[in-house]
Amino acid sequence: MKPELSVKLGKVELKNPLMTASGTCGYGEELSGYFDVGMIGAIVTKSLTLKPKIGNEPPRVAEVSSGMLNSIGLANIGVRRFIEEKLPLLEKLNALVIANIAAKRAEDYAELAELLAGKESVRAVELNLSCPNVKEGGMEFGTDVKALSTIVKMVRKVFGRTIIVKLTPNVTRISDFARAAEAEGADAVTVANTYVGMAIDIYTRRPKLHTVRGGLSGPAIRPLTMAKVFEVSKSVQIPVVASGGVFAWQDVVEYIIAGATAVEIGTVLFAKPDAPVEMVKGISEYLADSHFGSIAELRGSLDVNLQNVPHMNRG
Amino acid sequence: MPTTSFLETVTVIETREVAKGTFVTKVKAPSIARNVKAGQFVMVSFPESTDPLLPRAFSVCDAFEDSVSLLYVAVGKGTRRISKLLPGDPMVFNGPLGKGFPNMSGQKTFHVVVGGSGAALIPILDRTAKSRGASINFYYGARTGSQLVKFDGVENVNHATDDGSEGFHGNVVELLKKKIDGDSSGVVFACGPTPMLVALQREVGVSVETYLSVETPMACGMGLCQGCPVRNAGDGDYYLACKDGPVFRSTEISFEMKP
Repeated sequence: MKPELSVKLGKVELKNPLMTASGTCGYGEELSGYFDVGMIGAIVTKSLTLKPKIGNEPPRVAEVSSGMLNSIGLANIGVRRFIEEKLPLLEKLNALVIANIAAKRAEDYAELAELLAGKESVRAVELNLSCPNVKEGGMEFGTDVKALSTIVKMVRKVFGRTIIVKLTPNVTRISDFARAAEAEGADAVTVANTYVGMAIDIYTRRPKLHTVRGGLSGPAIRPLTMAKVFEVSKSVQIPVVASGGVFAWQDVVEYIIAGATAVEIGTVLFAKPDAPVEMVKGISEYLADSHFGSIAELRGSLDVNLQNVPHMNRG
Repeated sequence: MPTTSFLETVTVIETREVAKGTFVTKVKAPSIARNVKAGQFVMVSFPESTDPLLPRAFSVCDAFEDSVSLLYVAVGKGTRRISKLLPGDPMVFNGPLGKGFPNMSGQKTFHVVVGGSGAALIPILDRTAKSRGASINFYYGARTGSQLVKFDGVENVNHATDDGSEGFHGNVVELLKKKIDGDSSGVVFACGPTPMLVALQREVGVSVETYLSVETPMACGMGLCQGCPVRNAGDGDYYLACKDGPVFRSTEISFEMKP
């Protein structure tokens, strides 16, 4: 029998646990030439802001050992143009759409969510409280538990469908933030955004990014995020969406064993835009071969003695 | 929407060192070969590899029947690895991507200015010009004569070297200016290092219809990451080199990255 791949985030059911990571798939439609974007669990859009943003000056990207630094600066066409131009295309492609939103002020998150609440095809919002590359907003909210709580509470009032909070890993204890999101009614948390990083060209002695520091993604960060997914999944009841350095189906399986319900893929799409196709196949075969009937049976199945884990907050 | 782009597993046919440190690798890539236009590029990656992690962008050097050629200077991790591949070894090509040079017509004279690995465009532009009956001249600059690649069957190539060891002694933009001598009836195409493009834009682009193929760091080549902005000269907004370019009318863009 074919294993059951579907998973639930709040009220929304994804046909499989794969999601695109915000900022790595444009608005989704760019990928449609490479695979059927309707086959993936969800397409998470580029971060949308109330007004269009042109983003940071170049250079915006640099490769490092098994990783990539980026500082795009939330370049996007703005939520209104997204609703008018991009959303109809995604609907036509039968994509399950999750809108990622970012703002400078708490009330702007609510305004964004309210605009998107009017669009049934936006099945969930993911709150970007973790962008390392803008001066205001983004990570500043994500590193302050009170600010995070306020924003989630305000969005909860205006958005009845699934709310996912995307957390930053650049904090001492990420589970404190996950619990705060859960307490205010978030349906899931994404663990995690990119890590603040930096690289220098030693011949010009200039930083490799215009903004000097940027966000590190790619296989280099996977073990770091794996530890955080494990920590958060032991601290909250709501689903955890893992995001960090997935390059093959084995990485997706590893995150699910660590406790993730769904898994976002990002940087891998730049090299292999059709990666989700093989990943879904690989996961399905793994489940069948290992006699798991569903993703749910595999989730959090890590064979571990929690007494062996130093510094684990079991609050 | 990339309706004419293909993700193709290609195999190496041969690699030749065509000048000091400069290589041409020819691969079998039927879908891309049949669809590529001069000035378009491919993103090249290695199967099952995360180091190098990101695909590398290459302008297509030539396309004939089932094969595609790339010309590159082997300086980085990716280019060195490609130069060492053996016949039959696989790579993954994503392309053709981006917008190439405008169509050439028989009525005008085309002046193509290239430097460094920008010379990759000589064969494909020569082939295109011949098929359309357009008249074409090349201006090809390098630091020294040993770095210049000789292309079989391509005529009208004018060399410029910084050290004067071959052709015109000086930079290639000066050479072009000398040759066209104030005649603004032709069209200029250019591909090469940013300082060369900046000089062309300033000194030629104002009077002659000029198209520049820009070089910028790029992660995906398809508009997914928005990592390759090029400043719009008009409203100050950004184009993306991968989708809106890499070829731009010289009056459309302003350079802001330090060369």
